[in-house]
Amino acid sequence: MSGLSPRHWAGLALLAAFAVALPFAFEPRGYGIRILCLALLFAAMAQSWNIVAGLANQISLGHAAFFGIGAYTSTLLLIHFGITPWLGMVAAAILGGAAALLISLPTMRLRGHYFALATLAFGEVMRVIGNSWGGLTGGPVGISVPFAQPSLALMQFRETRSSYWLMLAALVLVTLVFVAIKRSRLGYRLRAIKENADAAEVIGVDTTRTKIIAAVISGALTAALGTLYAQFQFFFDPDTVFGVASVSVRMAMIAIVGGIGTAAGPILGALFVIPLEELANQVFSAQAAGLSQLVFGLLLILVILIEPRGFMAIGPRLQRLFGKGDRR
Amino acid sequence: MSAPLLEVSGVGKRFGGLQALSNVSLAVEAGEIVGLIGPNGAGKTTLFSTLVGLHRPENGSIRLEGRDLVGLKPHKIAAAGMVKTFQNVALFLDSSVLDNVLTGGLMRHSIPAARQLARRCLERVGIGAIADKLARDLSFPERARVEVARALCTEPRVLLLDEAMAALNHAEMDAFMALLRQLREEGLTLIVVEHHMRAIMSLCDRLVVLNFGQMIATGTPEQIARDPAVVEAYLGRSAA
Repeated sequence: MSGLSPRHWAGLALLAAFAVALPFAFEPRGYGIRILCLALLFAAMAQSWNIVAGLANQISLGHAAFFGIGAYTSTLLLIHFGITPWLGMVAAAILGGAAALLISLPTMRLRGHYFALATLAFGEVMRVIGNSWGGLTGGPVGISVPFAQPSLALMQFRETRSSYWLMLAALVLVTLVFVAIKRSRLGYRLRAIKENADAAEVIGVDTTRTKIIAAVISGALTAALGTLYAQFQFFFDPDTVFGVASVSVRMAMIAIVGGIGTAAGPILGALFVIPLEELANQVFSAQAAGLSQLVFGLLLILVILIEPRGFMAIGPRLQRLFGKGDRR
Repeated sequence: MSAPLLEVSGVGKRFGGLQALSNVSLAVEAGEIVGLIGPNGAGKTTLFSTLVGLHRPENGSIRLEGRDLVGLKPHKIAAAGMVKTFQNVALFLDSSVLDNVLTGGLMRHSIPAARQLARRCLERVGIGAIADKLARDLSFPERARVEVARALCTEPRVLLLDEAMAALNHAEMDAFMALLRQLREEGLTLIVVEHHMRAIMSLCDRLVVLNFGQMIATGTPEQIARDPAVVEAYLGRSAA
């Protein structure tokens, strides 16, 4: 929990420079850079999920609700009132936070599977509403972000690498929020709740309030990322943005594969999962229906079998294996 | 004569068909060390849990400095100054000992101030040397002491110790009792549940005896040792 050493800072600076320069190695409007954009976006989403799930062990399977609210909020504001997606993103975050507050109240006392199921149901309810309230959302047909001249003000870009930098900035921001929370009193309280909620209450932690604050921050960030997704994809429907498999479970899976509760885990997880999924699609989808999904699934199972605590646990394990360094 | 610091009157708590506590009343003066004794299942831990708000009693009132605590959540009661340790030890196992204790200090302090306070609390209970260990890696007696340090770090006025001396050897127990006496000198009020009679007899100003959820006796350790109802509860009717 202490500060980083100069060597770590140097490493981080090098990594940042690499991340910023990376798009120049890709075709500016090509396929590869789009995958990278999605990987960064999903890393940021998994990082917001990590605030509640990683720090307090409240495993939500309903974060698609906030994501979809964010995508629809900014898009509808843009379509009907011509409001810039930047402001739309703020509105999205406010609505996402409010939705998180609302769903927190009845689910707060639930733990473990029951919390996961309740949040799952909430996400599904939002998907059904999105599909049936056609007057607002366009229903199952989906909705398109109106095309405009490329401009930063409208969050539309000529080249995909501009989107890449936007996604990168979003990921850095969400990660900084995660790290700041982890080191703050809120972070200590969330860990106390995770490890023993009764004991936390007895020594003065307001567990209800702590969980709600974390849920609201997480929901607001996820909704803001929904806006980025809408502006990036230009077209979406309720099944995509409110989807269990496409959003909720994927956020959770990325964080778990990378290392739940760590700052780097969701980033590593997304850089592994998203390209792997695409690769499996490319290689196998021509051969048999569903084969790519099967291969993708098997690879994920393999990763979790080898190291259930995610990539972040592999480093320390290797260190112990070779007798270097000691346990923290 | 001033009102007692802690005043419990007519408290009852039922779990399904089991009346775990019935009509329990006791008054504790500031600076007292009160021993709570009774056979297994008498309701000692239930009473502690009820006092700190983990259980809500069906009847009665619990007043700390005149303020009724019934219905308040545990963290409010902790803020009011009453905290308990857990008999079965409920540490944050994946955190360091220091972080465990520090978390107790966050209610009233910033992280750096809580960290300093936590180090002092660890020194006081005699385990300053293991501050950086993971709670998971500790022995049971060590864990019990971390429990006490964490509770102290909330800076309570009333501390409820649920078998905090279990598994201590004689020397450790003497040191621990010296600590409790010193804490009392500094103004802390203590209620202790303990099975070790030698410790209870020498430490406590007054004993309260529970049996089947009811208070059957209260008095000085000498009075309690001679009380027929108490002897009967512990040893059976023929002994009394």
